[in-house]
Amino acid sequence: MSAKTASAKSGKFELEVRNPRGKIEAVPASSPSPRIAGIDGKTIGLYSNSKPGMDNFYTVFEELLKKKYPSVKVKTMRGAFLIRDDDAKALAKEVDAFVYGVGD
Amino acid sequence: MAGTVKLEKLGVPGVFMVCNTFADDAKSAAADNGMPTVRRREISSAEFYKLRGDVKTVRPLVEGIFDALTSALITPLTPGEASPEQEKKGGDDVPAEITVKAESYRVALEEFNQMYLDNRWGDGLPLIPPTPDAVKWMLSGTSRNPYEVLGMINPKHGIATIEKIAINAVMAGAKPEYLPVIIAAMEALADETFDDLHVLASAASFNLLVVVSGPIAEEIGMESGIGFMGHGWRANNTIGRSIRLSTLNIGHTWPGINDMGLTGRISPHTFITFSENTELSPWQPYHASRGFRADDSCVTVAPIFTDSPMAHFYGGLIMTWTAPGVLDRMVEDIVRSDRRGLFMWGTKGVGKYPGSGGGAMNHMIILFPELAAEFKKMGYDQKKLQDEIYQRTSIPYDELNHAERKAIQTAMELGVIPADRKPVFQAALNPGAKVPVLISPENLHLFVAGGVPGCAFSFNYYRVPPYNQTALMTRLITGATLTKAGATGGKNVPYGA
Repeated sequence: MSAKTASAKSGKFELEVRNPRGKIEAVPASSPSPRIAGIDGKTIGLYSNSKPGMDNFYTVFEELLKKKYPSVKVKTMRGAFLIRDDDAKALAKEVDAFVYGVGD
Repeated sequence: MAGTVKLEKLGVPGVFMVCNTFADDAKSAAADNGMPTVRRREISSAEFYKLRGDVKTVRPLVEGIFDALTSALITPLTPGEASPEQEKKGGDDVPAEITVKAESYRVALEEFNQMYLDNRWGDGLPLIPPTPDAVKWMLSGTSRNPYEVLGMINPKHGIATIEKIAINAVMAGAKPEYLPVIIAAMEALADETFDDLHVLASAASFNLLVVVSGPIAEEIGMESGIGFMGHGWRANNTIGRSIRLSTLNIGHTWPGINDMGLTGRISPHTFITFSENTELSPWQPYHASRGFRADDSCVTVAPIFTDSPMAHFYGGLIMTWTAPGVLDRMVEDIVRSDRRGLFMWGTKGVGKYPGSGGGAMNHMIILFPELAAEFKKMGYDQKKLQDEIYQRTSIPYDELNHAERKAIQTAMELGVIPADRKPVFQAALNPGAKVPVLISPENLHLFVAGGVPGCAFSFNYYRVPPYNQTALMTRLITGATLTKAGATGGKNVPYGA
């Protein structure tokens, strides 16, 4: 959102005020990883942050995935809100692509 | 979102599924985490939350988003996704000083307020204009360098400086003698170990407790008697509001954008800010129990659950009371609430640190002065009362069920129970022994506040928060120039130099 800092009117009274916002050091932008060519034969990770309901969602999702792509493999993982470093490394080793569902 | 970016950075393509209520939050977090074009696919909040409870009911919803999720994994990145634009430094598009022109002071004041609110720089109540003169006046309350960096405030990691805190303190209506208290509170929130993200952004509408202890509270006119958490006390209210505005403006939060507190917070403009009643307390101030000198002045900040009822232990004028009776109610409440969470001790927690977001609790208990005086007559100081409650809330091993015993055993293995507390729990897991429901007596934080008559009550929160290490922090107030208390430390650097 761009800040609106122009006063709408001119006038004889001027009020000078300071900017209250904290500076943000922009994080260098990187691009997402290249996509996979197709899903058949690949292993898809389904990560849930353990919020209620994602297990049910993924149960159906896995069923649909295997119906449409018979040779797909699925690796589900429940874990922290923000996936822990060791879990992330483990999941990344095992899967070709992933869905990350948070339940909120 | 940060987890999706983490996996993407490990070279695995993915997609983040988010409920549409949180779409702005996800977009903002994607940029905050350095991957603004990470793929996101939205699902209807209204449908997901209703239908997710059962495989059968959620099926149509999954069928509806299935293709969108799978195609996000296989459709090549667009040029825009593959080469995302570098975000500008936040705040750089706003000049340090803004001029509002109008025909009269009244109109200029109104335009200033509307402009700040439109930019999401206000809290919905009228603001005091932070003119250069007013900011300079505010900074006269501290000897600390206006450009000193205290750290960063979540969720957007905005840089907290003394100057920015002073600008927000002016807007809040604070006085310069309050500034050292506000700075100390912000130092705690900006500390690299403190979890300010959960309290400022979580959907569960957590709140912030701010307690000032030591002689500075009386010097600056903080109210600690009847109505101490309420309105009408400029020091209490504007110190809290300064912290609110500083977190909003330095952390760049906004409701429904990246502050997802569903109900908002009780006392949203001021958090819950008060001081201990030093005059009537029979004990040393709270901070002495945290290793500070009794004559220091300190501020303690702690996230609290206030979307759920806080526990009341009564006292005062509604019912007859005795100190042993109030103590019994405290013990009963802690046993009841904390035993329910024992099963969670055996999980890693929801964050990086063992036991995060569950497992064991901190209790912030507010005692009214008459009650503390009765406890003193019974031979308790804070330490002895902490130990008494800790012992009395422990549950006979023989009464624990198998799952509870197993959870505690697992908690020792996972590090949820820290190494220095393991011997206590190893000894407790034996027939005839008693098992604590608190990790340590130090998880009981005893404050004395309120008037005569008063009442006792408590707030609680996780001992280990979800996103960082620390859920409660006490900081020394330093650099005060207008009060005798809090004057230690700091360095006098003229503002504007």
